Amino acid sequence: MSFIIQGFQKALHLIFSGNAEIFGIARLSLTVSLLATAAAVLAGVPLGSWIAVKRFPLKKLLIALVNTGMGLPPVVAGLVVMLFLARSGPLGFLNWLYTPTGMIIAQFIIAMPIITALSISAMQGVDPRFYQQVLTLGASDWQAIKVCLKEIRLTVLAAVIAGFGRLVAEVGAVMIVGGNIRHQTRMLTTATVMETNMGNFDMAIALGLILLTLSFAVNLALTLIQQKKVLPR
Amino acid sequence: MIKLSNLRLSAGSFNLAVDSLNIREGEVFAIIGPNGAGKTTLLNAMALLREPSAGSLEIMGKDALAPANKMFLRRAMSVVFSQPYLTNDTVYDNVALPLKLRGQKDGAAVEEMLELFQISHLSDRNARTLSQGESHRAALARAFVTKPKLVLLDEPFASLDERVKASIARDLRRVLKASNAAVVFVTQDQSGALTLCDTLAVLVNGKILQQGEPQDIVNRPVSAEVADFVGVETILSGKVVSRQDNLCAVAAGVKTLMVVSDCGGGDSVFVCVRPENVSVSLGADAGGRRNNFKSRVVSVAPWGLEYKVELDCGFTLQAAVTKQLVNGLGLKPGGEVYASFKATAAHLIKRIT
Repeated sequence: MSFIIQGFQKALHLIFSGNAEIFGIARLSLTVSLLATAAAVLAGVPLGSWIAVKRFPLKKLLIALVNTGMGLPPVVAGLVVMLFLARSGPLGFLNWLYTPTGMIIAQFIIAMPIITALSISAMQGVDPRFYQQVLTLGASDWQAIKVCLKEIRLTVLAAVIAGFGRLVAEVGAVMIVGGNIRHQTRMLTTATVMETNMGNFDMAIALGLILLTLSFAVNLALTLIQQKKVLPR
Repeated sequence: MIKLSNLRLSAGSFNLAVDSLNIREGEVFAIIGPNGAGKTTLLNAMALLREPSAGSLEIMGKDALAPANKMFLRRAMSVVFSQPYLTNDTVYDNVALPLKLRGQKDGAAVEEMLELFQISHLSDRNARTLSQGESHRAALARAFVTKPKLVLLDEPFASLDERVKASIARDLRRVLKASNAAVVFVTQDQSGALTLCDTLAVLVNGKILQQGEPQDIVNRPVSAEVADFVGVETILSGKVVSRQDNLCAVAAGVKTLMVVSDCGGGDSVFVCVRPENVSVSLGADAGGRRNNFKSRVVSVAPWGLEYKVELDCGFTLQAAVTKQLVNGLGLKPGGEVYASFKATAAHLIKRIT
């Protein structure tokens, strides 16, 4: 039992002594996951909204495919991105393998279906008559989508929170694409795995605590934005 | 303003087929019909929300079915649905939204509309916290803030109580008069439509059965379906047995009715009698009315501000009787009275056989 308590004590010491390496890892983790989430939101929310409001053939099939993508195993996403970015792969000339850019791409691929699928169902929850009403007020399709998104911002932000939560906790893809290289691509999750394997539980616990704290801080910020215009009950 | 011809639109098993509709500038045009007649589908086609499968639609001299004109026309008109569909913003932002969508900002116009619809004091309130009547006022202010040339109303205020409805309708009428916009509205409330519109069209089962001046349709419906919908309570099937000038004797069951009509002898017809055209008295003196029947009262039921009395005079006749008269004559089921109506007060519809 005592090694757990010792682990926590050492962990707190590591955090509060301002260990530069740990903060570097935390900063990279946050940057990669936030950028990947942001990219997935910028692409997935408009795409999902468009799929939701438009009528086209095979729409249901497409939605089923996107929904399947929500369960995409991170290691599979990581593997595919690695094969593309590998020196002999089609995008090898970019030299993005084992870089933060490569990790962002892998995480983007994981978050994109989640944000798209949740945006589709959020937008499909808008009364079609409301959407038509906005069109009749003189809106283009994109303007109407924007007005509707504002109406369902609670659900859309829930999608953002779900997407970010998945990414910040994800280890498989960043491990494969990033390679857990010290001072370069080491993330909180990959470092935790490594330290645990090496038996450095205090370090692993410290990394875990920082991960939880960061995740809480980001989610708190998102939730505060989300709840801003909620009417009192 | 709107020229529509041979329009076809299918939605599931429902087919809308409107051969011709012409709405002039500044005209108030009402489309009435029962539930499921296709009123909303027709209005949605005019609002460019539903693409017809065939036909032509011209709005403000432009081909409304050409994708290139869609945006321009949408911004020239306003549509108000039976639900206000406000956004989760302040009343002011809601009313300003159509301007914002056009990349404009016109605080004065917004204030003016809030004023006209008497909701200035609610300007900063969240629209979701308004009462139903206030929400409808906000929706109307939003619809008129762009000074539309054409306004489409889909069952406006169907969910409001009479007093609120009347007060909003008064404000709406005032704004409409000042704006000189053409108005198309659909409703199943025929009495409301009659008092508001210049032209009336009756839509049943996806087809326009009759259009014209409201008084004309009410008094001379072209078919039993139209008659039924515009408040003709008594519709009897009969045959013209003889005709002198334009006074026809019509055999309907065991009775013969006299009706002024241009139907010919031998025609199969429907006889239409509006309840407000039937007089009820205790004495046999019909005061010159050509149709006078001794009848038995079947039922007496409240009907708006009056009473509706069902009479059995060899056929079933519905009469509208004031409360005072019901009391004065002591009308009750089983009682005997005389029911009379003028030959000009009934209307014949020729049956197509």
